[in-house]
Amino acid sequence: MTAGLVSLFTLLHQFFPPEFSARYLKAALLPLGQTIEMAAGGMFIAVIAGFVTGIWAGARLPGSRLVYAALAAIRSFPDLTLAILCVVVVGIGPGAGMLALAIFYSAAIGKIFADLFRAADRHAMDALRATGASRLSVALFGMVPLRSKDILSYGCYDFECAIRASVIVGAVGAGGIGTELIGTINALDYRRATTLILLLIALIAAVDYLARIVKNRPATLWLILPLAGWAFWNDRPTMVAISHSVSTFLGMLPPRLPEEALARLPKILLETVEIAVGGTFFAALGALPLGLCAARNLAPPLVSIPVRRVLEGFRAVPELVWGLVLVSVIGVGPRAGIIALALHGMGTLGRLYAESFENIRSAPVQAMSATGARPLALAAFAYVPLAAAPLAVHTLFLLEWNFRTATVLGVIGAGGIGQALFNAQQLFFYRQMAAYIAVTWLLVMGMEAASSRLRTNLGLMERYA
Amino acid sequence: MSTTDCALQIRDLEVRYGPNPVLNGITADVTRGERVAILGPSGAGKTTLFRAINGFVPYSSGNIRVNGVEVGSTRGRALRLLRSRIGVVSQRHDLIENLSVHQNVMAGALGRWSSWRALRFLCWPLPHELEDARAALGRVDLAHKLRSRTSSLSGGEHQRVAIARALVQQPFLLLADEPIASLDPELSHQILALLCGLAQESHVTLLCSVHQPELAERHFDRIIELRDGKIVADRKPDSVAVSAESNR
Repeated sequence: MTAGLVSLFTLLHQFFPPEFSARYLKAALLPLGQTIEMAAGGMFIAVIAGFVTGIWAGARLPGSRLVYAALAAIRSFPDLTLAILCVVVVGIGPGAGMLALAIFYSAAIGKIFADLFRAADRHAMDALRATGASRLSVALFGMVPLRSKDILSYGCYDFECAIRASVIVGAVGAGGIGTELIGTINALDYRRATTLILLLIALIAAVDYLARIVKNRPATLWLILPLAGWAFWNDRPTMVAISHSVSTFLGMLPPRLPEEALARLPKILLETVEIAVGGTFFAALGALPLGLCAARNLAPPLVSIPVRRVLEGFRAVPELVWGLVLVSVIGVGPRAGIIALALHGMGTLGRLYAESFENIRSAPVQAMSATGARPLALAAFAYVPLAAAPLAVHTLFLLEWNFRTATVLGVIGAGGIGQALFNAQQLFFYRQMAAYIAVTWLLVMGMEAASSRLRTNLGLMERYA
Repeated sequence: MSTTDCALQIRDLEVRYGPNPVLNGITADVTRGERVAILGPSGAGKTTLFRAINGFVPYSSGNIRVNGVEVGSTRGRALRLLRSRIGVVSQRHDLIENLSVHQNVMAGALGRWSSWRALRFLCWPLPHELEDARAALGRVDLAHKLRSRTSSLSGGEHQRVAIARALVQQPFLLLADEPIASLDPELSHQILALLCGLAQESHVTLLCSVHQPELAERHFDRIIELRDGKIVADRKPDSVAVSAESNR
């Protein structure tokens, strides 16, 4: 036991102090820029495509069911799985990463916008419809203004996710800071890895700051969009070998699993579920007190500001990077996966919880604090019950998200189906890889269907809206 | 009037939001057990007055003493203790919908309870605590709603649960800020009669803001009229108006 702790400590010790030599920082700037470019370019496409498809599906225009189903289907591919596919099809480099991000986030944004639009205030919408307006104009004049705050809020949040995702997709050869990070860890150059992680945290903090500006002054978007468009043009995938891409893609069909892989499948799937559920549980457990401490209307600035920074820190490190660190510290296996999901999820949920607490109506809280209640009692009697619906929705969304992530954590040795998928790709067993992708997709889809059903049954979406 | 008899003492109170005074030169003494209607149109400063008495709004000059305690200079724990004995009933929508009725009612005891007791009560209410909740609900004729969902209550019931919560505070001062603003005339009478009856029963000082003069005349011992942040009248109810109202 003590020996274990000592070895854990020595391993962690190797990550410090981070290397801050001018030479290395200068060298790290290039991949950092590449990462930003990849995320911005991907999001440029995603915001446009997501907005259009979101309105389409949300306003129930003709064919909206099909669009919605397609969005849900694409979104169910984990981003890393898409990136593996894109790298195989369009070749190694930032272009593949950007393509993967664009595809994934178009669907993600489209679906969330559609959900938001569908949950827009019925009465206001009916009033508009009563004027004889077409569905599209009702959408543009009613839904968009009614939900503009949420749209911006989610849009900014997705951009943050995209920055993190652009790091992740680098792990499979799509360039940027992710490729650099994997390189340093594989080279046991842990101090440089810490430097890169810190840079990443700073980058996320900057994006968070930018997001706040955009939320307060939506007009700044017009400044950012052209820059993102330029980033997209810079990184556009070069389709030099389309015939090769097509033949590679056709080589994946039909997907097939050999006998012994099929026999191991239930165990792998169970492990994946274990990682997702365990990670979400511990994330929620930690996020509740942290979220309360980070809520600006509950905790004093002396508490809320540092807690916010801590949450940002947890969130800024992608699950996969937590996984990389944890695998090198506590070893290969699902335990590293669970802790990785819990640590990152705590950062994400903590912030979303804090926002839910900040968004509740103030009248009941004031009535409660007029009874002279202590802060903890106030939290339990007013904040948590008032925010119960959004808290549940956020937790369920994290669970969905974690299912997706649990399927890819295996790439770095943290157990689950991802390991099998990645091994198949590395060995060029493309048909086997395609089979694993299909299984992953079915698993995530199934989970999403179950979760959305649960939400409807609990009436959460309605109450949240 | 001696200070021991005085539940609430307001002297030259001035509250400003920005450069404009919302309350200006308010002076009034309220005796223990007195039932006072604060009458005035929207924007007269009624809500601000209540929030100032409760310590939620700072005032720029003058002072407010509740039971001899100066509100403006009270902070932290002492302010919480003071608030725990000032019951508040406001317009609708101040119950917590996701808590059940008994939890909302016992929230009135939070000022006396430790944080741990509050958490324990949420998960595991003891029989005598439920009995307290039932007793408070009984005083507003809602004992049968003890375990109901708050979202299933009607407007009048909602308001009565809020009154029960205020009663659990064992208040010496009850502030009712337009408690009948969203109720129909019949229910308005019932709620005001209930509030005034309870205040008399437990010898609690009641301050209640209303829009309608006829209701103020009918139910209260004293009427203070506010307009543009100033007191324009401080009088006993007009018996002529009451009889005219009841003859209609």
